[in-house]
Amino acid sequence: MSDQAVAVHAPSAISRVRRWWDRSRDSIDAYLFLAPFLVVYSIFVIYPVIQAVYMSLYKWDLLAMDTRSFIGLRNYVRMAWGAGMTWNLQHLLAWRLVGLATIPLSGWAALRGSMGRTTAGWLSLAAVVLFAGILGIHPGESGGRWYDAVFWSSFGNTIKFVLLSTPLIVGVGLAMALALNGSGRALGLYRTAFFASYVFSVSVLTLIWGYLLQPQRGILSAFLSGLGFEPIPWLTDPQLAMPAIVMATLWWTVGFNMVLFLAGLQDIDPTLYEAAEIDGAGRLMQFRHITLPGLQRTTLMVVVLQIIASFQIFGQVYIMTRGGPGGSTRVLIQHIYESGFRDFRLGYASAMSLFLFAIMFVVSFFQFRLSPQED
Amino acid sequence: MSVTEQTRHKLRKQLGKIVSFLALSLAAFIWLVPIIWMFSLSLTPNEILKTVTTSLIPIKPTLQNYINVFQVGLTPRWFLNSIVVTLITTVGTLVLCSMAGYAFARLEFKGKGVLFPFVLAGLMVPKEAMFIPLFLVFAEFELHNTYAALILPRVAAPLGVFIMTQFLKAIPRDIEEAAELDGASRWTIFWRIMLPMSVPALTALGIFTFILTWNDYLWPLVSATEKEMFTITTGLASLQGNFAQATELGSLMARGVLASAPLLLLFLVFQRQLIRGIAVGSGGK
Repeated sequence: MSDQAVAVHAPSAISRVRRWWDRSRDSIDAYLFLAPFLVVYSIFVIYPVIQAVYMSLYKWDLLAMDTRSFIGLRNYVRMAWGAGMTWNLQHLLAWRLVGLATIPLSGWAALRGSMGRTTAGWLSLAAVVLFAGILGIHPGESGGRWYDAVFWSSFGNTIKFVLLSTPLIVGVGLAMALALNGSGRALGLYRTAFFASYVFSVSVLTLIWGYLLQPQRGILSAFLSGLGFEPIPWLTDPQLAMPAIVMATLWWTVGFNMVLFLAGLQDIDPTLYEAAEIDGAGRLMQFRHITLPGLQRTTLMVVVLQIIASFQIFGQVYIMTRGGPGGSTRVLIQHIYESGFRDFRLGYASAMSLFLFAIMFVVSFFQFRLSPQED
Repeated sequence: MSVTEQTRHKLRKQLGKIVSFLALSLAAFIWLVPIIWMFSLSLTPNEILKTVTTSLIPIKPTLQNYINVFQVGLTPRWFLNSIVVTLITTVGTLVLCSMAGYAFARLEFKGKGVLFPFVLAGLMVPKEAMFIPLFLVFAEFELHNTYAALILPRVAAPLGVFIMTQFLKAIPRDIEEAAELDGASRWTIFWRIMLPMSVPALTALGIFTFILTWNDYLWPLVSATEKEMFTITTGLASLQGNFAQATELGSLMARGVLASAPLLLLFLVFQRQLIRGIAVGSGGK
């Protein structure tokens, strides 16, 4: 009571002090609540990134920690460059032409208004620099070689995995969500069945699929030979090993994308379908003009998450094939792991980690730029 | 439409339903075959598996393979390691993230405009790419092959803070304000009011953290190199290279079943919460 009386008669000084006190008490409380998280987060999430940058500038031997020496950017040069490098138009021509298709595609998207003009411009510029320019660089015919050819082959395998797995796992996830959307007991059971494989750990996945794919004892070849096919040596054929890994990964993770698409479908306003029904639009028309546009945001998110996840592939190949046969499934994280803990080159491994980090950063950055309705 | 046409139309619709039911059931069955197969092999005697490995129904079913898990090898120890690490990581994540989320959602303080983006920046850091420097951090403290090394890097989850902040922001303020007038401290408000009200978010985040921690492979592989400190995930992986494959397939599959049992149970009980957690966590909306 008396508080109020004072506040009415002498509003300025006391209430100002009080407000100041309240605010600083809020700040102290806030930092007390934040402290445990911030400490752990800074030490184990943020500091390692800085440490990686620092290490990547050193020749940093795991076994002889004292002998590390500053070598500037030489780890990066070793990673990305080679001896006797040249540039020409034909090198990787098909891939570069596919990459250059980014330019008309982004131009089209900008005209349709589904991408900002500035973004489309930068994207096209990046495509020109990368595909017309940088990808033409390679070791020359006479005596040219990469300093670390394994880096490029394992990076190439990673890209291959990303390109094979992303459309497949996103597309199948979407198809499953469309087929299983709706209420009802049976649909719920199907969703459970298709999602169940997601909860297994990578080593259970490889345990099952490693045997499932075996040509002599596996259940897949038993099934295929029932249909009259020869046993297929999935994991020991350099042509088939990566597709087999993609297949196992599809089975393992597609349920995750299905769940995201199902959530996206729930967000579409049901009255749109009712209105379309009244206007006499068929199922196909509704799908094209309501479902697909309604899922645009979800799709973008799923694609980005899938690309990021696919770039981090490691466990499946490391356990099932160790990168073989003939290095055909060796991926970037395996190369980082082996450079660090088999060859003991921590500095070099850090440089490659940052390379991977940079790629994933760019991918998730595009997620922000590509969604125009972002609030 | 005549009466016969109507019944024909109805019949066709019924037929369509039956066909899609059969197709989906077949697809779901094929999808589950690898899992059924693992269970079947784990219940089949190893002698039989030397000749037949493709039956989906165990031939001469036995529990011998499961008994073998406790007699031979370190699997029970790895299982225990995983339980300890996963439980502490999950509880720790929930505590740290909800406390930080409460500060961001409800308290006004200097530096908030910088700190929140600082935490969100962590979403951009891919854990799988940063294991080399992280290895060095723990090497300096000589903490490798300890539970601490397996737990600490996983507890600070920026995504968890983000989810908790969004959720707590959406809770109406009136109950808190009433408690504040009664003179309740911040901690009481957080512990007695905010936490009970955020059980849905905590459940989703908790299940998600549990699964990811249990299944974590690369970091335990790097940090826990002594056999006794393997988790069930890295332990099971280590068996796949050198186990006498032809003779011990059943025992190996029994270990696989055991390694997935906690997650399968959790999944069957909390399926709805897990699915919501994925939708919320990834959508960030």
